[in-house]
Amino acid sequence: MSTATATAVKPQQNERRVTIARAMAEAVAQEMRIDPRVFVMGEDIGQLGGVYGNTRGLIEEFGPERIRDTPISETAFMGAAVGAASDGMRPVVELMFVDFFGVCFDAIYNLMAKNIYFSGGNVKVPVVLMTSTGGGYSDGGQHSQCLYGTFAHLPGMKVVCPSNAYDAKGLMVSAIRDDSPVIYMYHKGLQGMGWLGTEPAATVHVPEETYMIPFGKAAIVREGTDVTIVGVGMGVHNGLKAADKLAAQGVSAEVVDLRTLVPLDRDTVFNSVKKTGRLIVVDEDYQSYGLTGEIIATIAERDVRVLKASPQRVAYPDIPIPFSRPMEQFALPNPDKIVDAFHAMKRA
Amino acid sequence: MVAVKIPTDLWEEDTEAVITTWLVGDGGSVSEGQLIAEIMVEKVQHEVRAPASGTIKISQPAEAVVAKGGEIGTIT
Amino acid sequence: MQPTRDQKVWMYENMVVSRFFEEAIEQIYLEGKKPVFNMANGPIPGEMHLSNGQEPCAVGVCAHLVPEDTVTGTHRPHHIAIAKGVDLKKMAAEIFGKKTGLSGGRGGHMHIFDPAVNFACSGIIAQGMGPAVGAALSRQMQKKPGIAVAYIGEGAVNQGAFHEAMNLAAVWKLPFICVIEDNAWGISVSKKASTAVPDNAIRAQAYGIPGYQVKGNDPYEVFRVAGECVARARRGDGPSLIEIETSRLAGHFMGDAEGYRPKGELDALRARDCIPVMKARMLAEEGMTPAENDAIVARARAKVDEAIDFGRQSAYPAPAEAMEKVFA
Repeated sequence: MSTATATAVKPQQNERRVTIARAMAEAVAQEMRIDPRVFVMGEDIGQLGGVYGNTRGLIEEFGPERIRDTPISETAFMGAAVGAASDGMRPVVELMFVDFFGVCFDAIYNLMAKNIYFSGGNVKVPVVLMTSTGGGYSDGGQHSQCLYGTFAHLPGMKVVCPSNAYDAKGLMVSAIRDDSPVIYMYHKGLQGMGWLGTEPAATVHVPEETYMIPFGKAAIVREGTDVTIVGVGMGVHNGLKAADKLAAQGVSAEVVDLRTLVPLDRDTVFNSVKKTGRLIVVDEDYQSYGLTGEIIATIAERDVRVLKASPQRVAYPDIPIPFSRPMEQFALPNPDKIVDAFHAMKRA
Repeated sequence: MVAVKIPTDLWEEDTEAVITTWLVGDGGSVSEGQLIAEIMVEKVQHEVRAPASGTIKISQPAEAVVAKGGEIGTIT
Repeated sequence: MQPTRDQKVWMYENMVVSRFFEEAIEQIYLEGKKPVFNMANGPIPGEMHLSNGQEPCAVGVCAHLVPEDTVTGTHRPHHIAIAKGVDLKKMAAEIFGKKTGLSGGRGGHMHIFDPAVNFACSGIIAQGMGPAVGAALSRQMQKKPGIAVAYIGEGAVNQGAFHEAMNLAAVWKLPFICVIEDNAWGISVSKKASTAVPDNAIRAQAYGIPGYQVKGNDPYEVFRVAGECVARARRGDGPSLIEIETSRLAGHFMGDAEGYRPKGELDALRARDCIPVMKARMLAEEGMTPAENDAIVARARAKVDEAIDFGRQSAYPAPAEAMEKVFA
């Protein structure tokens, strides 16, 4: 067992490359082998292996009792996950699209997230809720959202968001072993499913053995001195591509992958901004009242004097996600918008 | 030298596939039976495994369109 | 299946404890709220949903249960918690918001958690359905003994969570029982005005499981029907549904003037209050002597007094303890 504190999204030779989808399934399988309390439940996670491939191969090894296809009935199985978790099991439940939280949010934020507190810590709720996020492939406004801020805002849930397969595996192992509910948000565009369009840099070397990634430890995935770009999930890849473009212009950008939103590694962000003096926050979730504002507030509260310029955010505008390709692509964050944000900051 | 070929028995029609991901690096060492690539036909993903042990040379990169039986690399 | 005399005594005594408890809470709740009724004032602030009249639903089912069985209650939970064996002192302290409470004052009267006897409740209608089904799933998967019972009110059957959880319990054949306490009123809206069928037991047909309706707030009949359902669940034959016609004698919550009730309805309910009815039956049918009754009443009184005193006398938590126990 090793504990990784940081990992760079960089390809290596002779590596064992794994997609995020496979890394998630591998982590779940390894935990299921050593802990009979762990089971998976959700829609189409059995024979189909999950719409996003993250439970592929599990039913063959563990059978339909522990890899449990549910009715299309999120309120029931989210609530059941809470009850099973409090009764000694460790359910991993899948909410196929995070957009579907609306039909079962009571079970999530009023039960799953609060029962530990309501019981004064006497009841544990070791649920992992894995759910897909993100758009960019014209799936319309009910199948493309990220909603990171919605979950991270409400107390009682840990929220993780891997940007690459190495983190995906280690965060999943940590999530399953956690006695509190963990919302595991994976971006569809990073899953390694070709039909979703896939970011190749998310598929990285993953050790075969089990390892944990601690929550609340951001990773500096690229070091730099002129500006700090902060993001999660797809935002990290947009940040890295922007950093490449900025480098060509002689600008050295540091990219911080938050990896977990709750708990949030404010220290790493602050120390990076203290070094660079400039901050751009990237988020595919809606701009207002979300991650971007939280990160900027963190710096402003702690010591606004570290900033050489007003921070910038590159986030999803406050609109429902449009279907039409040019409209959706217009609204999504991308590397060029990050580069533009840097120049806007310099001009100011 | 052994050719790495797209299996002919994974799907029925003569539809072409696309390589979605190489799971090993070019020039990396592989062992026989190891999962080395994922390919996709329509929305269904299939696996390509190493036909032999050795060092892999990739000839068709990710996102290349390949036919059944097509060579995508060699192992020496 | 009829209760034995010992079981009847247990049920009667539990009903008396529950009623004394609610009466004590009622008195204390009103302290500091007269002449101005401000919910924030007094030794017990907040909402207060008393269970007076619904005791048969609690004792008739819980008489069949053991601590390892799971029960989820409603926003009106005290009678069920008492019948399930929740620690009464700690429960009282929780209702007062004290450090010695079950949850150190974080939950309050709608959030009673006692893992020692597998009891939990919540303040949202039908919300206990999913967790009870999940506990039943856990027992089935672990091949451990124990069944799960979710109590809901008759208004909760119109929530999606009721339907979804019933279907899940039925499709997976879980050791689960849904008990509907039909007190005829969802706050101020009558069952007749809110629910398309007069008898929710027939909804069991939608899930291919047995459904029962118990009339007359009769603890023995609740016991008989619950006995069949519990045995069925323990045998591994799957879930069932019970609707119990019961009485809400203390309003939806404290301070409820109940102007919506037809004139005379409450008087009629009080005239057949389950506690004096039960007492009369114990005297007439079970040969309970007045001295035996006095002893039961005295034990119940002492138990409630001890719990209430403990709650009242205990210290409040340090305010900053609010920041603890968010995560396990």
